[in-house]
Amino acid sequence: MNTAQRVLAAGLSLALLPSATLADESTRVALVPGGPHPYFAAWEQAGADAAKDFGLGSADYRVPQKWELGLQNQMLESLVTQGYNAFLVFPGDPVGTVAIANELAETGAPVMALAGCLKDPSEAVFCMGTDTGNSAYLGTKELLKQLGDGAKIVHFTGFLVDPNTQLRIDAVAKAAAEGGAEVIQVIADIDAPEPAEEKINAYLAAHVDEVDGIVTTAWVPAVVASNALRKIGDKRIVMVGIDHDEVVIQAIKDGFVHGTMLQNPYGQGYIGSFVADRLRSGCTVKADAPFKSNALTDKFIDSGTVFAGANDVDNYVGSMQSITKVLFDEFESTYLDC
Amino acid sequence: MGGPLRFLLSNEFGLIVLVLLFGILFSTLSPAFLSKFSLYALGRTSAVNIMIGFSMMVVIITGGLNLSVGAIGVGAAMFGGWLMQAFGMPWVPGVIGGLAMGAALGALNGVIIVRSGLHSFIITLATMSIFFGVMIYLTRAESYREISPAFTSYGRMKILGVISPLLLVTFAVAIMLSVLFRFTALGREMLVAGANARAAEISGIRVNRMITYCHMLSGILAGVAGLMLVSRTGAAIPSMAGQLGQDWLLPAFLGPVLGGTLLTGGRLSVLGTLLGSFLVTMLTTGLLLMQVGAFWIQTYLGLLLLAAVLIDLARRSYLERRKLL
Repeated sequence: MNTAQRVLAAGLSLALLPSATLADESTRVALVPGGPHPYFAAWEQAGADAAKDFGLGSADYRVPQKWELGLQNQMLESLVTQGYNAFLVFPGDPVGTVAIANELAETGAPVMALAGCLKDPSEAVFCMGTDTGNSAYLGTKELLKQLGDGAKIVHFTGFLVDPNTQLRIDAVAKAAAEGGAEVIQVIADIDAPEPAEEKINAYLAAHVDEVDGIVTTAWVPAVVASNALRKIGDKRIVMVGIDHDEVVIQAIKDGFVHGTMLQNPYGQGYIGSFVADRLRSGCTVKADAPFKSNALTDKFIDSGTVFAGANDVDNYVGSMQSITKVLFDEFESTYLDC
Repeated sequence: MGGPLRFLLSNEFGLIVLVLLFGILFSTLSPAFLSKFSLYALGRTSAVNIMIGFSMMVVIITGGLNLSVGAIGVGAAMFGGWLMQAFGMPWVPGVIGGLAMGAALGALNGVIIVRSGLHSFIITLATMSIFFGVMIYLTRAESYREISPAFTSYGRMKILGVISPLLLVTFAVAIMLSVLFRFTALGREMLVAGANARAAEISGIRVNRMITYCHMLSGILAGVAGLMLVSRTGAAIPSMAGQLGQDWLLPAFLGPVLGGTLLTGGRLSVLGTLLGSFLVTMLTTGLLLMQVGAFWIQTYLGLLLLAAVLIDLARRSYLERRKLL
């Protein structure tokens, strides 16, 4: 966890402290991402803080050592055997994880999809994450505010096997069409350091003069593109990134990147752990809970996204704090019957 | 040397000993290892990993490799899923269609290899990308989940509360492969063609045809593994074997190699591959259960595999010194 994440974690923990009295010490929450990725690092502190603040038995971050659906399934099965009784899971695959989620639910454990959704129908009580299409759309709109009509933009994004990637590609295309811009290139399958370095640097080396703007909708491409623009040294190209990696934040401060679309992984883990315990304590999800819909589920809760430009970047922790606090304060009354 | 004694001195017996040793170790350190749920999950995961190992094994006997097992397995599973969803096919013709696709892709590998004369490493490295890329293009990375409930129920079924039907499928395939390579002329010709292609050619065996058959069989077995995953997850998913199907490569090689299949071709061990794949799956499950740090699992897995091989080497040395081997 980097300094910024620690500050965010500490700040949120202090801010959200109340209402732990009804917690169940037998609650053991497992927060399981699809594999190692910096986006999920905040879940570890979120779980630890939630366990402390709400008096849970534990809320542990358990990472499959690789991004393999089979390995994640194997880990989840192992966690059941180890006695975990609540699961916050980033689905390794929105469809492929449904079966294991249903099996976990059959053991009586509440299961929530976090940061990414399961395809309906599933036994997950809900999905809490970023509205990825909306985030990509808003990010592109922010980019186009800086560019004139007819701007040529490129889009660096994540893996094609992730259906969210197609949503992001469509959203960027829609925003570009509305703003009179042209998406001249989409480079996908690069949310890992090696392909991102190779493809982004090769593309910019060959086409830097043809590009007016860059929008990135995955963590690693945002980092790599930020570094590439810093190396090129030309601030003519306007870029909007995603997430809060220190490389991106520093590039915004130094003027190489226009801004970033922040997401809220800490809030997902913290609130998710709290809700898992409440559900184990007898609360139920309201039948008329005001869930949103997305391409995968009708039980979606937006964990928040916000644009942070040069003027906001020093206080981006505060921006995310306020989003999380609002969501947390109203969560029980909005979504649960207790 | 009598049959029972020969078995006691075999690689397979060494693997059985290792499985028992690690089983005792894990169940001592974590009694939950022997819980019904844990054993069921272990059997179900092993079933698929063993099948993936078989898929590679039948190509290794030709002295070649098939890096596209994952891409073929996913391609076959997606085709079977598409047949069931788009045409509402019952699961039996859907599965047959999926296996036919696996056979076709495997045969294509074989034909290109024998026609080009290039090593299977190069050809299957290329076809891995081609098969996966075409599949992603055609499916738009969307899953097929309108799969017959009768088929998907097998993936979740528990026999006597602890045995997965998928494991029984794997055992059935293992028996069929044993019969093929031990008791049929076709199986023996495949082995001879792999052991010494020139000698096989002189003795009238059509080596190129045998290589193509082996790749076709590999494709079918990869298809079986893919369809087992469809049954397990209730959907045909493009990412079931990771990017380009690469997630299958490690289990594909570990099982046959640990099991005693010669990388130079000509010799295989169905039981050895089964035990080798099971051992690797058991080690992973045991390490997860012992809550070894996630990023240490690969290291410990490597160390345990090294220990397993060294223990087996020590056993063989002992037997050789006693002139029992």
